[in-house]
Amino acid sequence: MNERMQKALAETRRHFLSGCGIGLANMFLAEAQPKKPHHTPKAKSVIFLHMAGSPSQLELFDYKPELVKYNGKPCPDELLKGKRFAFIKGVPKMLGTPYKFKQHGQSGAWVSELMPHFSTVVDDVTIVRSMSTDQFNHAPAQLFVQTGNPRFGFASMGAWATYGLGTENQDLPGFVVLTSGGNNPDAGKSLWGSAFLPSVFQGVHCRSHGDPVLFLSDPEGMTRSVRRKTLDALKDLNVMQAKQAGDPETEARMEQYELAYRMQISVPKVMDISREPEAVHSAYGTEPGKTSLANNCLLARRLVENGVRFVQIYDWGWDHHGTSKRDDIQYALQPHIKTADQAVTALLKDLKQRGLLDQTLVVWGGEFGRTPMRENRGGAEGAFIGRDHHPYAYTMWMAGGGMKKGLNYGETDEIGYYVTKDKMTPRDLQATILHQIGLDPHKLHYPYLGLNQRLIGPTDEGRVMRDLLA
Amino acid sequence: MRWILHISFAAGAFAQTPDFQRDIRPLLAKKCVACHGPDEQARQAGLRLDTFDGATKARAIVPGDGANSRLLARVSHATTPMPPTGPRLTDTEVSLLRKWIDGGAVYTNHWAYEKPKRPVGNSIDHFIQAKLAEHRLTPSKEADRATLARRAALDLTGVPPEASGLAPYLKDGNFEKYVDSLLASPQYGERWAKIWLDLARYADTQGYEKDNKRSIWPYRDWVIRAFNDNLPFDTFTILQLAADLTPDTSIDDLIATGFHRNTMTNTEGGTDDEEYRDIAIRDRIATTGQVWMGQTWGCAQCHTHKYDPLTHKEFYQIYAFFNQTADDDHPSDRPVLKLTSSASTLVMKELTEDKQRKTRIYDRGNYLTPGDEVKAGVPAAFHPLPGKAPKNRLGFAQWLVSPENPLTARVTVNRFWSRLFGTGLVESEEDFGTQGIGPTHAELLDLLALDFQKDWDVKKLLKRIVMSATYKQSSDVTPELLRLDPANKLYARGARFRLDAEVVRDQALAAAGLLSGKQFGPPVMPWQPDGVWLVVYNGDNWATSKGEDRYRRALYTFMRRTSAYPSMMNFDAPNGETCTIRRIRTNTPLQALTSLNDPAFMEAAQRLAEKALKESPQDPAKRLFELVLLRPPTKAEAARLSLLQRQTEAELRTQPENVSKLLRYSEVLYTEDRVATLIPDARTGAREWRFVTNDPGVDWTRTAYDDSKWGAGPGYFGFFTKPNETTPIKTAWNTETLFLRYVIELPEKVPTKYKMPARTNSQFDVWVNGVSALNNIFERSGHYEYSLNDDGQKAFRPGKNVIAIRVARYGTQSNGQVFDPGLVASLPLAETKAARTDAARAAWVVVANTVLNLDETVTRR
Repeated sequence: MNERMQKALAETRRHFLSGCGIGLANMFLAEAQPKKPHHTPKAKSVIFLHMAGSPSQLELFDYKPELVKYNGKPCPDELLKGKRFAFIKGVPKMLGTPYKFKQHGQSGAWVSELMPHFSTVVDDVTIVRSMSTDQFNHAPAQLFVQTGNPRFGFASMGAWATYGLGTENQDLPGFVVLTSGGNNPDAGKSLWGSAFLPSVFQGVHCRSHGDPVLFLSDPEGMTRSVRRKTLDALKDLNVMQAKQAGDPETEARMEQYELAYRMQISVPKVMDISREPEAVHSAYGTEPGKTSLANNCLLARRLVENGVRFVQIYDWGWDHHGTSKRDDIQYALQPHIKTADQAVTALLKDLKQRGLLDQTLVVWGGEFGRTPMRENRGGAEGAFIGRDHHPYAYTMWMAGGGMKKGLNYGETDEIGYYVTKDKMTPRDLQATILHQIGLDPHKLHYPYLGLNQRLIGPTDEGRVMRDLLA
Repeated sequence: MRWILHISFAAGAFAQTPDFQRDIRPLLAKKCVACHGPDEQARQAGLRLDTFDGATKARAIVPGDGANSRLLARVSHATTPMPPTGPRLTDTEVSLLRKWIDGGAVYTNHWAYEKPKRPVGNSIDHFIQAKLAEHRLTPSKEADRATLARRAALDLTGVPPEASGLAPYLKDGNFEKYVDSLLASPQYGERWAKIWLDLARYADTQGYEKDNKRSIWPYRDWVIRAFNDNLPFDTFTILQLAADLTPDTSIDDLIATGFHRNTMTNTEGGTDDEEYRDIAIRDRIATTGQVWMGQTWGCAQCHTHKYDPLTHKEFYQIYAFFNQTADDDHPSDRPVLKLTSSASTLVMKELTEDKQRKTRIYDRGNYLTPGDEVKAGVPAAFHPLPGKAPKNRLGFAQWLVSPENPLTARVTVNRFWSRLFGTGLVESEEDFGTQGIGPTHAELLDLLALDFQKDWDVKKLLKRIVMSATYKQSSDVTPELLRLDPANKLYARGARFRLDAEVVRDQALAAAGLLSGKQFGPPVMPWQPDGVWLVVYNGDNWATSKGEDRYRRALYTFMRRTSAYPSMMNFDAPNGETCTIRRIRTNTPLQALTSLNDPAFMEAAQRLAEKALKESPQDPAKRLFELVLLRPPTKAEAARLSLLQRQTEAELRTQPENVSKLLRYSEVLYTEDRVATLIPDARTGAREWRFVTNDPGVDWTRTAYDDSKWGAGPGYFGFFTKPNETTPIKTAWNTETLFLRYVIELPEKVPTKYKMPARTNSQFDVWVNGVSALNNIFERSGHYEYSLNDDGQKAFRPGKNVIAIRVARYGTQSNGQVFDPGLVASLPLAETKAARTDAARAAWVVVANTVLNLDETVTRR
């Protein structure tokens, strides 16, 4: 390529970067280059562990001895009036947790006996027991947390992060999504979509089997060496075309093919956990080749270690309604939290030990909480025990990336129905996450449909939660 | 260089007298109007600056007297300047304001709200060339015939031209005849239908959590036929928005109302149907505003539009037009129009007079806080409803296509222009409001709009554009021109841009001779990687279609909202969640991976190579180029392809297995063509399973477990309180759980793609050799084929394998319970012996794969 064309190409790039809205040709390159944050970031990367279905805060974090006392009593009228539930009908009974709670660490955090591992790291974590949302169905509530809007059609948090900051590692996608639990989360791939943002910012769903990224491996019958030959030929032929047509887009496309070729090596390498030492596997509970939350936790560490900006983990199967053994808070929740507790705690310890925790913001939680009442699907209690969807109060925690260590934030009433102190909403969470990675949640915007679209929505109710920051 | 600044920075300091529309309005809109504009809720100090009256009443602006205008004092205040947040106005901006006020502070209307005016001049080329001359530029020469042939065919039909139409044009150069043949081809309607379906947010599922299938494909077919029949755009509009209210409509016309039935339906537990009905109505208003008038009406659902003339109240007046349809977010998607015994589609149906809903203004857009009641009406800033128009959806549709409407024709011609040039005359196709980007050629836009309004003839409009010298220019660009006009806003050259997702794929299939010409009908499922569909509470499988349905045009591919077809998504196709006015084209490594490695593209490469070898055994490289690019390769290109072929052949000579794969790609791909029953179910000859009903404790799923003390019996397992002849129970089971084991022997080369056909009204889990292969499966109708998960697929070994199943009663099951399993899988590909010449042929497959990935191939030039 001659010098003048190089210059023209550079100009196109600059044009895009200056935000004139044209010349999207080199979008991936633009993304690939780290961009300047709004302010000095506390965290370089985010790992968001979304427990799809929403685990019960009352079994895990929010200790309510009073609720145990009310166990089996009919739910008072004033808690039901004007309320909508997904499945509860008539007057349900109150449900105290069958699990024991104890205080742990310097911070004295109350944690349930179901999480012996997590109990050991509470002094590294900010636990928010006062989360509150306004959505009580899975898909809208998940969308609200992840895209800032309960409806489809809005850009996801990871897309906003990479749009705002670019990515550190040019051979890996900036926004990676990992799923486990046998299903995609309820709201599907829209949870990591780019919506109105250019599609280059959408999350890349890495699968733990087959190709980690769709179409990553060379087609059957084509060796690596043949693939290299085709790319060399492609390059030569494209250069001929570029000379003739003069379009900088051709050059941009050639770079995408080279990047794709490098990704074919770099992605499987980072996704291969089989060479991790045995101690790591036993800490996380990982088994190479499996699809599991544990494997994804270990992958998340490897990805942020390699400069991936945003790792979004969805673990499906936390929707414990108590309609059968399969979603009962004893039979089903126990084994699920057992593996999750081990894996997630191992991730925190691993990040800390590698000095990565300070620059990695880890977020854990569901899309809403679960009712202090026992679910009575169809109007009657069945043989199993579970809780319905509860938007008014639930628990999330955050760690690393400039969050306070060992903080217990927010309170709920004596039965865990409403937040009584320091309410925090998904919008506050979004604002805080963006702030920690160096983006001003109020400024980060993209003009679309006559509005400056933002993750935190059009109003300014989303707050950076300064009380939580170290 | 000067003129580029002129375009990019709206003249700025270069202008002598500031122009309100060009210089002042955008400045006020950006810095002032959010707090001092039309939104009475947000308005500060009772001051509005977007109107002359508002600004002069408070002496914020004193026309002709900048020195006494408080606005200037406020924006240049040393310590507390306006706006109170964000960067202050630059000196240039303040000086612009001053000059404008000194000049009389003339407010003019936003251009798009004035009716189009007939300009002097009557051709596209006239206006394009006049502007080029202003910038001392000249048009490029006409593109060569082959380039033009490919360009017009891909633009107008989305597929390469048929040889029968192409050959005469290449010979005689009669472009008009060629264009006419493209416009008359059945593929024309498919191309433009797909573009329209982006706007209609068409998909084959309901959306939200369950995202169940729905049947609305007859609407898709209606759109194809409407384009092919060249239905005038005004009729096209009225039928889609209000055919149910239009007198003398046919059943076929009613199908058109599917346009707004493409909104999503939420069937998740406990949802308030009214909430999602309300969401659907808002979607319809926002979509209508964008599609027909380039207006962002959705902004006004919570508050008065901050920039454009639509108040909060007016939003709900439009809402009232759309609020009277019978659909109500019901899981059945009612009302449904039954067309034949196997086909139905969703339609609009107006409620009868006595059942009509009241429409209220929702405070902050929340349907739970209704305010004052409003009656249907159109926004005051626009023309009134046409005289005879009824006050319902039909009247509203007539209002959209009324000759008084300043926007519909402009917005529509702009969209067609954009599909042919890559960018609209108004770049912000979705927003013609004050926040949008003004037209590059305002007079040309008006000319096309006014002429289009005469007869709303879409084919005529497209032909007019395509026949212009502007369209026919070569897209080759010099570095000089690229520097002067990088985005080609002046049209000194032809447009060059990446093909749409569907065209990239359809072109590859067409070049390979694979593309089916079959039109219409239910959506199809071409090959897709395993495991892409994993939808919560919905065990739907992607069941690859048979025969030519594997190779239909992309617009017939099944569209699942929560899990769209991956290769389309990678090339920027939308997923039908919301109305997509224009796709933003990106250029990413995922696209490269798709067209390089997607087995569907490889299959096309294999067939393409075969075709080239057959049609031109002496010079397959030349034929490859012709099939894909409609031109022969240059000498250098041909030499490079030959080199690649020779290098590859040399390598493949030692790799007979790879040769075999490359030459049998279809067979590699369609494993379902080699499906065999491994364990017959009750329908196909039930086998005895080992079973117990009480929890057998640990390790019972493992191979080594001793099940010799278990009972044995075939399906169906279960009981019925009433006799059930179609489902004969062979093994009684009436307890809460059931545990089953079965041993199968597999050969050295084990099958792949295991599926379990199972009939159940319970929940069940499956293990293969102790590995979890299906988890938490619920009832589906009949014997449903559940694909085992990846872990399960990989757990099969040569020799003895144990399938273990745990079944658990779900709910009370007072009428009985039933379970019956089976197992099917795809057999491995039979070995074939490679012939000596096969390495050469396989190398051509690799070359074809390369040609399908050329920049020129995925580009329309």
